[in-house]
Amino acid sequence: MSALMEVRVCAVRQLTPVVREFTFEAAEGQLPGFSSGSHVQVLMPLGERTLRNAYSLLGDPADSTRYRIAVRLQDASRGGSRYLHERVAVGDRLQLSRPHNLFPLHSQASHHVLVAGGIGITPFMAYIAELQARGASFELHYAFRGRLTDAYVDELAERLGDRLHAYDSSAGQRLDLAALLAGQPLGTHLYACGPQRLLDGLREQARALGWPDGRVHWEAFAAPEPGLAFRVELARSGQRIEVPADLSLLEALEAAGVEVPNLCRGGVCGQCATRYLAGAVEHRDHYLDEAQRADSLMPCVSRGGCASALLLDL
Amino acid sequence: MTASGTDTIFSKPRYRTAASPQPARRRLLVAQDAACAVPLLDHPAPALLLSLGGELAADIQQERFPSPAALYLRLQLLLEQAEVGTRLYVVGDETFVWHVYRLARHAGLLGDEIELIKSGARRRLYCVHCATFQDIGEEGEANCSGCGVRLLVREHFSQRLGAYMGVCLDPSRPYGEDRP
Ligand code: FES
Repeated sequence: MSALMEVRVCAVRQLTPVVREFTFEAAEGQLPGFSSGSHVQVLMPLGERTLRNAYSLLGDPADSTRYRIAVRLQDASRGGSRYLHERVAVGDRLQLSRPHNLFPLHSQASHHVLVAGGIGITPFMAYIAELQARGASFELHYAFRGRLTDAYVDELAERLGDRLHAYDSSAGQRLDLAALLAGQPLGTHLYACGPQRLLDGLREQARALGWPDGRVHWEAFAAPEPGLAFRVELARSGQRIEVPADLSLLEALEAAGVEVPNLCRGGVCGQCATRYLAGAVEHRDHYLDEAQRADSLMPCVSRGGCASALLLDL
Repeated sequence: MTASGTDTIFSKPRYRTAASPQPARRRLLVAQDAACAVPLLDHPAPALLLSLGGELAADIQQERFPSPAALYLRLQLLLEQAEVGTRLYVVGDETFVWHVYRLARHAGLLGDEIELIKSGARRRLYCVHCATFQDIGEEGEANCSGCGVRLLVREHFSQRLGAYMGVCLDPSRPYGEDRP
């Protein structure tokens, strides 16, 4: 992975019972600029292991003196979001990767439709800053659970007026995907970020209504799920590595000093593709097709079986 | 994350022979000759046919135009009011279909939303030496109508120009014979 940088936490805000916002400034020097839709990886030292989670930068890209991220506490997580919620305070130092953008705005669009589910609002906070600065045409559809995952909804209502369409599931309001997709002018591009269920529903509806894939852009929540412990063997170096239940294969490789290129750490960008020579694989990515899965896997999310060691071409 | 299709600028274009089964909410069919639009009819979405002439005995809405310019103008207006879910199908010779293609891309359609069917042999040739366009048939060589140089018609097709590239056939004779 590319160079890391050190930041200092300069503000922490609890936005909802489960969403906490962190503001970072450079520990020294300047933070690199970023474009809207970018994310950074945050390194979290948990005991002797280091977890890395990717979070969207939600500040205004025109101002890169500070970075902001918002983190939802995930119950089923491996401890990354819990660490940020419970252990990180103002004045602490953290390590981040440089920003990368896997979810950029489409420059040729004449109208932008943004669809956010819950904490999926984060990349759009930066989008909105940029779109407003450009005077671009856009609308935001934001589905959340009131007083739980409704981060920024008041601020957005004030900034966007009737360009914000809010759907509070605790009040029985539902996002009607077909209605949202109907009647959009020809130059429209659609961007979605949220739970897999929302993304799948949207893609299916969009296709049925004649939207080609090139108009529909999405970002899944990128975080590996824990699994069972398994063993890997590296064919070239002969190294053997144990991957514990709460670490991803990528993290276990990194802990053993093996660098694998990666960006999203959530099985969507395709960067970390690694060949394997033998063993059972539990594929959990959204990138490889069936044919590619016969000899490649994405170590940021996918895991080996517990019966026999997985032999990697590394 | 989706990758939007990038246009290959230079390649020999490939054409469809019938409408794809891609879902659509509305279809615009554009034909030089309405009779050639038959392979485009097999699709459930409502369609409107714009043509320059010819007869199509089918139960769809049709509009006919006296000139290409009038047809292009009408299409432009239709696309300005169109919504996502609209697909465009074009049938005609290469000069025609690529003109319509560029117009539609300009109006906001993606390459994936446009289907081209080729009929007829007319092609457009672009002289890389003097930037003149001219219409040719299937021949592999031609005299440039601009600078008179003998051109070899390369297989390279520029989608941006809607034309094949013509390059000087004989480097030892870089000028036309009867150039004043
Ligand atoms: S790092 Fe993006 S797919 Fe693995």
